[in-house]
Amino acid sequence: MPIVGVTLRGLLGRRRTLLMLLLVALPVLIGLLIRLSDSRIGVDRVLDTMLVQTVLPLVALVLGTAALGSELEDGTAVYLMIKPVPRWRIVGAKMLVSAGLTVVLVVPSTVLAGLLAGGVGPASLGTTFGYAVAVAAGGSAYACAFVGLSAFTSRALVLGLGYTMIWEGVLAGLLEGTRFLSVRQATLGIARGLSGQPVREGTLELGLAVAIVAIAVGAAFALGSIRLTRFEIRSAD
Amino acid sequence: MSGQPVQPVRLPRLEPPLPGPPASSDAVLAVDHVARWFGNVVAVNDISFGLGPGVTGLLGPNGAGKSTLLHLLAGLLQPSAGNVWVAGQRAWGNPQVYRRIGLVPEREGVHDYLTGHEFVLLNARLQALPDVEAAVGRALATVDLVTDSRRQIGTYSKGMRQRIKLAGALVHDPPILLLDEPFNGMDPRQRLHMMDLLRAMAAAGRTILFSSHILEEVERLADSVLVIYAGRLAAWGDFRSIRRLMTDRPHTFTLRSSDDRRLAAALLAEPSVFGAELTDGLLSVRTSDFGAFTRAVPRIAKTETISLFEVRPSDDSLESVFSYLVRR
Amino acid sequence: MSVSPGAPADRSTTAQVRASGPGGSIYDLGYQGYEGPRLGREAAIRALFWHTVRSCYGIGRGGRAKIVPFVLAGLAVLPAVVGVGIAAIAAQSGQVGDVLGSNSPIRYATYHGLVSTLVMLFCAAQAPELLGRDQRFGVLPVYFSRALARIDYAVAKVLGLAASLLAMVIAPYAVLFVGRVLVAPDPVEGLAEELPSLFPLIAQALLTSGLLAAIAMAIAAFTPRRAYATVGIIAAFLIPSIVVALVVGMLSGSIADWIVLMSPVDVLDGTNATLFRASADSQAVSASNFNGLVFVATALVGIAVAVAVTIRRYLRIAA
Repeated sequence: MPIVGVTLRGLLGRRRTLLMLLLVALPVLIGLLIRLSDSRIGVDRVLDTMLVQTVLPLVALVLGTAALGSELEDGTAVYLMIKPVPRWRIVGAKMLVSAGLTVVLVVPSTVLAGLLAGGVGPASLGTTFGYAVAVAAGGSAYACAFVGLSAFTSRALVLGLGYTMIWEGVLAGLLEGTRFLSVRQATLGIARGLSGQPVREGTLELGLAVAIVAIAVGAAFALGSIRLTRFEIRSAD
Repeated sequence: MSGQPVQPVRLPRLEPPLPGPPASSDAVLAVDHVARWFGNVVAVNDISFGLGPGVTGLLGPNGAGKSTLLHLLAGLLQPSAGNVWVAGQRAWGNPQVYRRIGLVPEREGVHDYLTGHEFVLLNARLQALPDVEAAVGRALATVDLVTDSRRQIGTYSKGMRQRIKLAGALVHDPPILLLDEPFNGMDPRQRLHMMDLLRAMAAAGRTILFSSHILEEVERLADSVLVIYAGRLAAWGDFRSIRRLMTDRPHTFTLRSSDDRRLAAALLAEPSVFGAELTDGLLSVRTSDFGAFTRAVPRIAKTETISLFEVRPSDDSLESVFSYLVRR
Repeated sequence: MSVSPGAPADRSTTAQVRASGPGGSIYDLGYQGYEGPRLGREAAIRALFWHTVRSCYGIGRGGRAKIVPFVLAGLAVLPAVVGVGIAAIAAQSGQVGDVLGSNSPIRYATYHGLVSTLVMLFCAAQAPELLGRDQRFGVLPVYFSRALARIDYAVAKVLGLAASLLAMVIAPYAVLFVGRVLVAPDPVEGLAEELPSLFPLIAQALLTSGLLAAIAMAIAAFTPRRAYATVGIIAAFLIPSIVVALVVGMLSGSIADWIVLMSPVDVLDGTNATLFRASADSQAVSASNFNGLVFVATALVGIAVAVAVTIRRYLRIAA
């Protein structure tokens, strides 16, 4: 798929790749620190705060908004649009690339951090495994949502940040019902559900969490494709 | 200009042909009372025309609506009113129409990190061409960029960027080509080369529409011209006819001499002069035959022994030419 | 352009010939240089400062630019307004409720925690616009060829963002202050009761807006691309605070304490706790053995360093 290729080339510019690698290296460093200092911080806590709350949304944000957004912003999207290619194919390709890259970057970081911080005991392994899968699912949901968002607005990055920091960070803690609209909660639900740990109060149930991720991806794909069929070139003469 | 009544301006004897229903007309590109506004600004104001094979120039000053019109034709803008037909299909919201169109946009830069070859290859693949490499090779050869095609576009000069955009637009051999200010940034040799190219393609049956604000370019290349001003179609037709018509319009000259008043009186006796006015120490003369006038002035000055300090046409600009066209 | 039929030829240039020869003419179009008074460097700095403040809030730039800043500022002041509203209604019905009392989440001491995320987002959204745009479109030479020195540009821009943040941070404090005074059974007595809080809340507001603005601008100064700057700013605020939270239990002794000082979020939490003599949100801060003034000093040092970095960047940037 040629669009996959050109999007991949566009996303893996030197600066962006460096920034992403730095971001995903941090949890591993923390894991290393924990291993070296031989302390008793729970794996769950590390992976939750360091990855799910911070690194995962940031990586997905950068890749998701850049996949489509940077081309829309600098005008090079025109060359993709004036082709007899169905719009859903364009959106789909971009979602595939950004979600794929997010997973490729964040899952190894999760696994390494989990192994370093938690060791290889069965409980920790279970948690690490749970988080690895959850991060793949949640990261895909985030990335696809941000690709879809960037079809609608050029400020997708800031809006996405607002979503993760305010909506998911602050409000979801206060208002019970909003847990269903939080990719973060879905990710945590999958992680804890798969880790074999007893389910904690307030966590989303596994099946529900998976459904939320699937709906997020599907909705982003549908809405983004529809929006792109009404693509108009930016301002006139 | 947006407050003016929406009337297409037509020259006598050169009415633009209104497109019939697309199936029966042989117009390849047709717009039917199309308009496009952005908030309060009307960029394209009730334009209708039909085009067939050959090269047509879209001429107008900056801000006239040329790019907007081209974007409407390329399905990149939705018409606020009216319809745009390309090869019998609607242009907007119809990706399949891009099999028949090649567009060379003016402002939009190409991906800097791709090589020329890769960019044309991308275009070819997205067009689902059967033999991609051959098509790419042909397109690159046509624009004379084969040797530079392995370099990144970020290293290209402006003229080379224009040419690689053209290669991308040509790779699928489209019957319709839309070019937005294609000669911007080209040196004279490249411009001649591209003109020859476009002429040859038009002779082979393609429909080519290109925009420009430079009279000479349009004159040299286009078989017929669409003159657009402030979003409205000011004139249409074979360029020579319009030019001839424009020289029938009165010309205004500004003169300064040692004795303006006597000069004015003497000039008014000439049959080619139909108005003279003294204002602010300058003499302004209106004439309907500028050839005869330019012969008369030195003759009269010599006869009357008046020294001429300054004789200049004061309505020579493209803008004043258009103002004549739109005043009607 | 309206040209009526029969109008005389264009007379907008009352052209005098200044020089003329066989090959051409030069016309004197009546252009005059400006000989009037010129406002100097301070006026330029002031103008840029106010321009920056207006840009932060999207004033003079159409509706879309106002959405993000006003929504964030609105959300910041919302809890205060709601709290005061409820307290007022409660006072009406006779119960001098405890909405704003010492157990409420809506107090001076706790407000910083409520609002700091919003302030960080504001920085991350606006700082790249303020600095990145000028770099991206190459207008720095236009700025530097005026009375404005490079250092003035940097300082005016940082002060502009800091002032915008200050407005956003002080508004809820002001609402709380006035609300509490008015809700009190005796306003004069209420005022006397609130006055001691005046200094801490102004100080905290100044430190918060100063530190976050300075750091955000220092990061935004280094890249014209909006996305990198935004993510960089958020990462600079968020990641240290998460690392601190995780690490503080592990390393014992003074190393752990010093690490806390590397996180702007925790430092401001510390100053908040010090100024309001309250407990800190962050565990790390509570666990540290510092005298509260260390946090204040760190904040001030942080501001100075960040501003210095920004100034240095603009002294060296190519323009």
